Amino acid sequence: MMILICLAGILIGAFCGLVPGMHINTLLPLMIFLGNSLKLSSYELCVLLVSTAVTEIFVNFISSIFIGAPEEGTSLSVLPGHRLLLEGRGYEAIKLTVIGGVFGLILTLSLIFSISQAFKVLYKASRPFIHLVIVFFVIFMLASERNVRKILAATLIFFLSGLLGLICLYSSINQQNILFPILTGFFGLPTLLISVSECVRIPPQDYKGEIKISKKEIIKSIFLGSISGLIVGFLPAIGISEAATFVSLLSGLKDARNFLITISGINIGNEVFSLMSLFLVGNPRSGVSVAIQRILGRISLTETFLLIGAICFSSGIAALLTLFLGKKIPKYLERINYKLLCSLTIIFIILAIFLLTGPLGLLIVFTSTSIGLLCNYLKVKRSHCMGCLILPSILFFSGLVQEAIIFLKI
Amino acid sequence: MEEKFILIACFLCSISGLTLIYFSSKALSPEKVSIPEINFEMVGRVVTTEGKIVNVRFHEAGHMFLTLQDGKTRIQIPIFSNLMEKLENFGLSREDFREGRRIEVTGLVEEYDGQLQIVPRKLSDIRVK
Repeated sequence: MMILICLAGILIGAFCGLVPGMHINTLLPLMIFLGNSLKLSSYELCVLLVSTAVTEIFVNFISSIFIGAPEEGTSLSVLPGHRLLLEGRGYEAIKLTVIGGVFGLILTLSLIFSISQAFKVLYKASRPFIHLVIVFFVIFMLASERNVRKILAATLIFFLSGLLGLICLYSSINQQNILFPILTGFFGLPTLLISVSECVRIPPQDYKGEIKISKKEIIKSIFLGSISGLIVGFLPAIGISEAATFVSLLSGLKDARNFLITISGINIGNEVFSLMSLFLVGNPRSGVSVAIQRILGRISLTETFLLIGAICFSSGIAALLTLFLGKKIPKYLERINYKLLCSLTIIFIILAIFLLTGPLGLLIVFTSTSIGLLCNYLKVKRSHCMGCLILPSILFFSGLVQEAIIFLKI
Repeated sequence: MEEKFILIACFLCSISGLTLIYFSSKALSPEKVSIPEINFEMVGRVVTTEGKIVNVRFHEAGHMFLTLQDGKTRIQIPIFSNLMEKLENFGLSREDFREGRRIEVTGLVEEYDGQLQIVPRKLSDIRVK
């Protein structure tokens, strides 16, 4: 029965991962309602939720890389993934995210019990200075442009994005799904618009998926991904995309391939930790873990092992499914009019934003897309747009957020 | 030339978009709801509610946790240390939040430990009556 439930979760997760704008958090109330209607036990319902969440992480890289429609965790994979797709290496890009996810999962599970105590101590010790740590990373990120004109341009992008983030997160705007228009505008739509305007065609793809980086680099990227996933899990100030940006800058991982492995490892590490934190500290860290806590209360060690089992089983199947889809989908992309597909995806995303966030969401996506495109024309990295989350975090942890709100009168 | 034109257009769109979002957000007033009307589907929305303080709890880290009641329904209002500090600088003391007083709170509906709470984020979000 549990295996059947995992398979159902995998199907729902694949649906959430492939459809732009669809997220497990959107479907949670419906899934819980259906689970109760079908008289699933509490354990079965939780297994269904974790299978869906894990599968969504793997499969979402497909829509992120092939059609530029990411979610928060995969938003930074659009550019390196798309670059590989246009080099005819889309399947390799998918294979790299699967490697990062599967091996990241194994490493995260082996690390989590052994180093979680050390992380808790480190977190407590570093909390008063956490904003300084983030400021240091931001300076490092801006300085990596290595040219005064570009550094100034990157600073402008960082502050414009930060201002947008501050207004959206601290004014009376509803926070439900608010990150969807912001991040899709920064990372997804500019890629799609450029593909449409430049009449990008998908070149014939290499389906052998030969990995063009060394084993040493793969191991390094997996290790960095898992450690960063744990850090994201423990440090509330750092999100998946910020961690991926910082790690790639610090470790000098400039190759798109390393980056894809690392970001996949971070995503899976963060998901595992958000569930494990229910057991370790009784504190939920994601929509799914909140739902699990509501269903089970504080989870026991046995329940934790049941959920880990479901995660491992679902990850295995989801990895195979992602590889299968990663081979099939580019074959269709080669045949169909890619410009038309991108145009339809843009329309679909805009419709989804309107339905989920209303007219204000459209205004937000218009603004974030303009800022995202500005990066292209100023020739600076689009990751500076993460200022939308980093600037509010710095202000919050430095205790200056009230001053900023008063200053901006929001 | 064309690239420069697009660059300027993107910059102007960014600035005008930000300005419009700023003024639209200022024009938005949070939905007014009574405590019994608040439910899990509202998580993520900014609402204004009013109630009587029935419990006050202080945390060693400087946070204050109020329990508001309206009829038979109660809801938790966590006021985190950074906002608490600003409230005190603004002239509101812990005494102003004693049991029995009515307050109006604006904040984000969140879920913590399976319970709903309203998290105020700025000074103007808390009004002692």
